[in-house]
Amino acid sequence: MPDLSPLCALGAATPRRVTHGALTLTETPDCGLASLALRRDTPPPALDLPGPGRWQTADGLTLIWTGPGQWLVELPGAAETDVATTLAGKVPGASITEQTDGWVLYEITSSAGAAPIERFLERAANIDLTRFAPGSATRSPIEHLGTYVLRRAEDRLGIWGMRSAAESLWHALDGIAARLVSRG
Amino acid sequence: MKRLSGGLIDRSQHLSFTFNGKRYQGHPGDTLASALLANGVQLVGRSFKYHRPRGIVAAGSEEPNALVTLREGARAEPNTRATMAELYDGLVARSQNHVGSLNFDLLAVNDLLSPFFAAGFYYKTFMWPRAFWEKLYEPAIRRAAGLGELSELPDPDAYDRGYLHADLLVIGAGPAGLAAALAAGRAGARVILADEDFRLGGRLLAESDLLDGAPATEWIEAVKAELESLPNVRILTRTVIFGVYDHGIYGAVERVSDHLPTPGGAVRQTLWRIVAKRAVLAAGATERHIPFADNDRPGIMLAGAMRAYANRWATGPGTSAPVAIFTNNDDGHRTALDLMARGVPVAAVIDARRGVERQGDYRLLPEAEVVGTQGRLGLHSIRVRTSRGNDTLQVGALGVAGGWNPNVHLASHHRGRPVWDGEKLAFVPGQGGPSGLFPAGACAGKGSTAEALADGLRVAQEALADLGFAAQAVPLPHAESRQDNTAPIWHVPGKRRAWVDFQNDVTVKDIALAHKENMRPVEHLKRWTTLGMATDQGKTANVTALAVMAELTGKTIPQTGTTIFRPPYTGVSLGVLGGGDTGAHFRPRRLTPTHHWAKANGATFVEVGPWMRAQYFVRPGETHWRQSVDREVLAVRAGVGLCDVTTLGKVDVQGADATVFLDRLYANAMASLKVGMVRYGLMLREDGTAYDDGTCARLAEDHYVVTTTTANAGPVYRNMEFARQCLWPELDVQLISTTDAWAQIAVAGPKSRELLTRLVDGFDLSNEAFPFMACAPLTICGGLRARLFRISFSGELAYELAVPARYGHALMARLMEAGADFGATPYGTEALGVLRIEKGHAAGAELNGQTTGQMIGLGKMVSSKKDAIGNIMSRREGLAADKRLLVGLQPVNPADTVVPGSHLFTQGAPRDLAHDQGWITSAAYSPHVGSSIGLAFLEDGANRMGEVITAANPLQGSEVAVRVVPSHFVDPEGGRLRA
Repeated sequence: MPDLSPLCALGAATPRRVTHGALTLTETPDCGLASLALRRDTPPPALDLPGPGRWQTADGLTLIWTGPGQWLVELPGAAETDVATTLAGKVPGASITEQTDGWVLYEITSSAGAAPIERFLERAANIDLTRFAPGSATRSPIEHLGTYVLRRAEDRLGIWGMRSAAESLWHALDGIAARLVSRG
Repeated sequence: MKRLSGGLIDRSQHLSFTFNGKRYQGHPGDTLASALLANGVQLVGRSFKYHRPRGIVAAGSEEPNALVTLREGARAEPNTRATMAELYDGLVARSQNHVGSLNFDLLAVNDLLSPFFAAGFYYKTFMWPRAFWEKLYEPAIRRAAGLGELSELPDPDAYDRGYLHADLLVIGAGPAGLAAALAAGRAGARVILADEDFRLGGRLLAESDLLDGAPATEWIEAVKAELESLPNVRILTRTVIFGVYDHGIYGAVERVSDHLPTPGGAVRQTLWRIVAKRAVLAAGATERHIPFADNDRPGIMLAGAMRAYANRWATGPGTSAPVAIFTNNDDGHRTALDLMARGVPVAAVIDARRGVERQGDYRLLPEAEVVGTQGRLGLHSIRVRTSRGNDTLQVGALGVAGGWNPNVHLASHHRGRPVWDGEKLAFVPGQGGPSGLFPAGACAGKGSTAEALADGLRVAQEALADLGFAAQAVPLPHAESRQDNTAPIWHVPGKRRAWVDFQNDVTVKDIALAHKENMRPVEHLKRWTTLGMATDQGKTANVTALAVMAELTGKTIPQTGTTIFRPPYTGVSLGVLGGGDTGAHFRPRRLTPTHHWAKANGATFVEVGPWMRAQYFVRPGETHWRQSVDREVLAVRAGVGLCDVTTLGKVDVQGADATVFLDRLYANAMASLKVGMVRYGLMLREDGTAYDDGTCARLAEDHYVVTTTTANAGPVYRNMEFARQCLWPELDVQLISTTDAWAQIAVAGPKSRELLTRLVDGFDLSNEAFPFMACAPLTICGGLRARLFRISFSGELAYELAVPARYGHALMARLMEAGADFGATPYGTEALGVLRIEKGHAAGAELNGQTTGQMIGLGKMVSSKKDAIGNIMSRREGLAADKRLLVGLQPVNPADTVVPGSHLFTQGAPRDLAHDQGWITSAAYSPHVGSSIGLAFLEDGANRMGEVITAANPLQGSEVAVRVVPSHFVDPEGGRLRA
């Protein structure tokens, strides 16, 4: 272990968490992230890869489609490790780049089922909820910031945003959740 | 005053409100306008130009007159239509646009001077002297002619926005809209039903007609209950659809909390972007008036509005005196009947048509016109011209019914042109409007209740059929099917002023003047007279004005023209469009990994695009920024400095063809770059102009990291993707940005190697093992993965060390701690700028889009042995012949300041464009040189070393004698870099 102490994207030693009504927003710094792009003329990997607009889990990884032949790969709990090397062991011959600290992950959970999540999402992003069931993932701007939005479950979202703009994205998401409570 | 019977107000509750400080009572269900009328208040404001006393004209969003300032303090909102302000307990409103009290407005003198204030008067009058316009005329005119005033305090409210998706958006919840929503809802389509009112029903709420023999509210409530029970239907009341945008996107503002004293923690308004596959426009119609002499007195209203106040709000028109109706159609008679049914005395119905008959027990004056009115602050009497002579009627209010204009506005967006229906005497939606938008009901010219219901159903079925929904017919109630039989009587000719546009004080005379001045095309008419502008956008005026102009020109109305309606349909607050974030969160910002460290260590920050970068670090005792910057610069040159350079763009490039790809992107050769080495690279635009420079590090045979300038991180990445996907899709290359992933810290200065030696895990940093322009992955501080690049922007021995961003803060602290004995000093962008100017490195100020490689002394880098983007074009005559070169400048008198932006002239030459020799791109005070220095592009710069020239700054009237020197002020041989 290095003798340096990391900081979370929001600038504190511990991740931020806040609850507004049924919604809880959690900064999630422990999830590793890498990009995976298949090279030309190489055989497809043994992993089950999701298609456009989808994410799915395989071999302990969560793969998010980001473009033709491209995925972002979540490696839960592996943020402190060399995720590119880990992933290269599973997908040899691909172009893999460590992305863990390029992004910040906010998990948004509902204690009251899908409705609060959907009310939250319709204020956050231009996403058609009827086409955004669990298993869906999309790239969408939120308050002018590029994000990846994952519908992890009926009552749970994962939102990946640019790490340097973590504070602005948190402000946006936190504000949406807080205003939903006030509005009733 | 006593309220009438009936109405849709809750008499069990009382709401207290004030208008101009006086306390009144109303009920839930009231608007401010209905409550004022119920309290006998007719006078509510002063007109825009002439400061004429004005009252409530309409009952909806078309209101031109009754503009008030609602609320107080920072929440004061000027120009709020009293007809749209839902009453709440404690509401505070005041009138606007008067000096002195509302009753005795000193600026009413304007009305006496009206002959001087005709349309266009200020275009002709206030022309001389020119300087007076901004300082005197305009402020005076704006003060005299205006509406409400802003509080000039920050908006205390929150706003939000959101996105909704629907198969069918139904705009308007009157009979057509409700029928459409019900049919679509039952068919299973996703429906959004929006209405600007706080209650569903539209015009049905204002009428006394029965549906299936029962009050219309019974049918409305039943439909509402069913729609609310359907999970696929969403009802948005208090929501105006203000515009139709591309691809079926509709702009909507929901007034979430405007009906409450304060929003509490909730938002005030929400901006919705509704993505709808189809939309039914059921926006209804707006009644028009008939201009006659002095037709603007308080108490003169639209007859349909008068009827709405009686039926929906149980109030007469603010007077207990008798009421008259002036009409050119049957609908005016309907108002008389409804008023009488509610106990309002009707003095007469004045019908301009021939051969009309009474429809009830009232006095009818056929073939008659209103030709004058009396009453200073409210209507007292009207003069009527009949076939038997003139007559004066003592009345407290007059309802005017001039026919109905379909609300074609949204159908006119996307340049849809309304078409004239000569039978209905109205513009109806034409072809060419927004695709997917289907007008229905009164806004399509089908204005009886029975027609509107049937049309709403039909149009919904048609709209949904395209989407594959088989919407079944829903049973519709039996409803009235009257026709108005409107006659083409547009105004009453006369000598006195007759108002067409109340809000802008435009009269029939003004239109006649516009005609005389040849301002006849409708767009000229509008701008010349200001007709149809401001908050009501001419909803009650535009068509009448066209008719008057048509009469003057002898053309038909459609020949005269139509006006184009643009968004927004009604006024939309800038707060809701802006989203409500102000201050630090006005726009998103990016923070460097060492931001919090820098903040704790005295940094002043500067915006660099979206980034916040440390500009300099103030130490105790430093009182001027230059002291901090000079200290930082000298610390780098003498010991070691630390600067967060994370903001430089980083693009990870991999793939079998990565080398070929980069060789085509960079003007200079990259194919020969060895693994473990870095090369400076120059990128050109397609036209051969330099646009970005940076470094390219080769980490493996098929793996590179490209760095870009901070400003061009996005554009370079975008252009690389364009090249990869579109120019050379055959290449096997993969790209991804890693700018945020790595915290990168420049460690610069003669002590940098020694400092880094204390952090790396056994890595050999010697000049032999890790020479200038080397790079390597390594670990530091006990196993942390990192990347080290030996590159220099400062001209000193320097490195850039990258670690995962989460460790940036700790790394900076560790470097400072480990380098304390070397005088390790953090430095910001100012010192960075000074260091690079001293070294003669080009940056954004030099790469301004006009610069060639040779101008910055890098002409030889542009390889002629290979092709790359821009290389061939860079050799075209116009660029290749450019003799301007980046040079250094030093003032002859060391106390002088070199001002960036100054233009260069040969000494003694005239200071004009023909003799311009170039310009100063960057300048700074160099503590190393001991004076101000600059970089400049100078004609034939290569051959002018030592020459003294003039740097002229005509904006400030200064001139400085400067000596041309090489652009490297520090270590021109580059020995320090390679030490």
